[in-house]
Amino acid sequence: MKQSRMRLFAPVVIATALVLAGCSTSNLGGSSDTDPSADSGPIKIGAVLDITGVGASLGVPEQNTLKMLAAQLKDEGGINGRDVELIILDDESTEDGAAKATAKLIESEGVDLIIGASRTGPSLAMRPLAEAAEIPLISVAANAAIVDGAKWVFKTTQNDVTVLESILNDAEKKGYTKLALVRDATGFGEGIADYITSLGAERGITLVTTESFEPSATDFTPQMTNVRGSDADAVIIWGINPAAGLAQKAYVQLGVNKPVYQSHGIANQAFFDAAGDSANGVIAAMGRLLVTEQLPADNAQRPVIEKFQADYSAAYGEQPSTFGGHAFDAWHIAVNAIEKVGTDANALRDELEQAEFIGISGEYKMTPENHSGLDASALILAEAQDGRWILLKD
Amino acid sequence: MLIDFLQLTVAGLSQGSVYALLAVGLIAVYTVRQVVNIAQGEFAMLAGIGGAWLTAAGMPLIVAIFVAILSVTLVAIAVERLIVARVKNLTTLFSMIVTLSVSILLQAIMLLIWGPEARGLPRFPGENLLIGGVSIRSQELWMLGALIVVGGGIMLFYEKTRFGKALRACAEQPIAARIVGISPVMASVLAFAIAGFVGGVVGVVSSPISLSIWSGGLLLGLKGFVAAILGGFSSFRAAIVGALLLGVIEAYVAGYVASGLRDGVAFLILILVLTFRTQGLVLKPTAVRV
Repeated sequence: MKQSRMRLFAPVVIATALVLAGCSTSNLGGSSDTDPSADSGPIKIGAVLDITGVGASLGVPEQNTLKMLAAQLKDEGGINGRDVELIILDDESTEDGAAKATAKLIESEGVDLIIGASRTGPSLAMRPLAEAAEIPLISVAANAAIVDGAKWVFKTTQNDVTVLESILNDAEKKGYTKLALVRDATGFGEGIADYITSLGAERGITLVTTESFEPSATDFTPQMTNVRGSDADAVIIWGINPAAGLAQKAYVQLGVNKPVYQSHGIANQAFFDAAGDSANGVIAAMGRLLVTEQLPADNAQRPVIEKFQADYSAAYGEQPSTFGGHAFDAWHIAVNAIEKVGTDANALRDELEQAEFIGISGEYKMTPENHSGLDASALILAEAQDGRWILLKD
Repeated sequence: MLIDFLQLTVAGLSQGSVYALLAVGLIAVYTVRQVVNIAQGEFAMLAGIGGAWLTAAGMPLIVAIFVAILSVTLVAIAVERLIVARVKNLTTLFSMIVTLSVSILLQAIMLLIWGPEARGLPRFPGENLLIGGVSIRSQELWMLGALIVVGGGIMLFYEKTRFGKALRACAEQPIAARIVGISPVMASVLAFAIAGFVGGVVGVVSSPISLSIWSGGLLLGLKGFVAAILGGFSSFRAAIVGALLLGVIEAYVAGYVASGLRDGVAFLILILVLTFRTQGLVLKPTAVRV
């Protein structure tokens, strides 16, 4: 009896010992800024992306872009003679997946900097880990809350507030006073209704109804039926593809017949794949990637975007999406900073805080107060027409 | 108000017809083999993704649909021959574990071959209708039509034809069935072929409006499972009625309460049925064991 009980206990004891040992080594390992070898050996850049799950239409082009840029950098001989190792992990579009992947990158890989995640929710889950470990994190998601008051977290995607401002400016100009919102139920859509209410107040715009949908949703009839029954002048659909594209399709098929605005979350081919002809007439605020050929020849972003498009289509046989652009910007901002100050975490963070870069999503000017670095000038308004975007307002 | 109500009802019925077809596939297998096929939803996704891939490669829609359904039927037969038939002492509980593994395996294969992004078939031919302010999408009519033709056809086959009745007899009296010349192997293969065929049909008719994605099959299959439970896993009629009800209630909950609660409806119903009324919506329990 006694022996059999011991036999039961032994594995538990061993497991506990192993876990404790694991904890202690990772604690003793310390963060990279105290590591004497931090400025030699390969530079490790980690990335946590929504490669599978609801964020796949974002994470896949981001992964492609990072892989391509890492290969280019390798051909150029790395940064200041040091090799750059890129470690990409899939968070499966979940918050806990993102947190686990981040912990893995920090604890077992000892990365110098992390890029990710693709969407707001997973990015918010990564933030406290990066802050606690004092490792610079550059998110490629939208919600301003990701960087609000953060010390170690930066982001490249245009802020949702800025996007809403451009949409509301256009709505005000067209004389719409009542808006309906159909939003993503996850982090990306969080707080959008409040922003519209507060930003709308100064423009004489009120929000009359709000509906929400899961990013994995496939049927949008209930939401659109409620929108159809409302007295809104125009509708904002706020989500990512394929959900936002399917919502657009349901919207048109149910004959709601009000003008639609969409966010920068839909700026990829997946929108047209999901929405088809229903996309026609949608106005969206986005970066300049999808309207490059319509930009004035002297636009500073144009050569950067054109090179990215040429490289990406040569590597993958398709045009890049806006999301690849967010990853492109994050990668270059990170690489430029490491080139200047090396991988000492504190120096790197300070350098990122004053980074300036002409990228795909806009012209960045990071400051200690603004870890997003983009303002309204990064956005344009475009109208969908037969599977492409027509530049309305730069 | 009335228009909104009818609009939600239409959406619910078309979604419910998808659940109903899946339930038909589940019951078709269960009544013959006592196997609960968790991979039923994967059959649908496989057909949708495969069909979308074929049309994207330039194959005409009608041919792609045909090839997709046929391929999934063959996959289902392969699952039966290579996996299910080889398990010794297959109990119902064990069948769920085995087919859950099949489900995960199929997901992984779809992810590897076609990648993580959702794909959709082009819309089937037909005009969207607007009747008294209620919009009915042509694809929704295709979904309901598929239920009537395919679901109804399978139901009649099992309930009215000699051969169909003989298939069910295999489950109840396997030895007697063999004595009178019905091969249990043949019956099992046929049951899985029907499940694959129905799954394929569901996949291609729903793909144009709800898209197909490698990870989408499990939840869809579980909705079909709930409908099958409502049919006591034996009655096609009760399961179809239950599935349509489930679809409609989901639409009402999403429209009038909160869209986030939508996916909870099925599981609430599942708990209630299993707790209070295990025969589901079946009014006269038949001899077929539940």
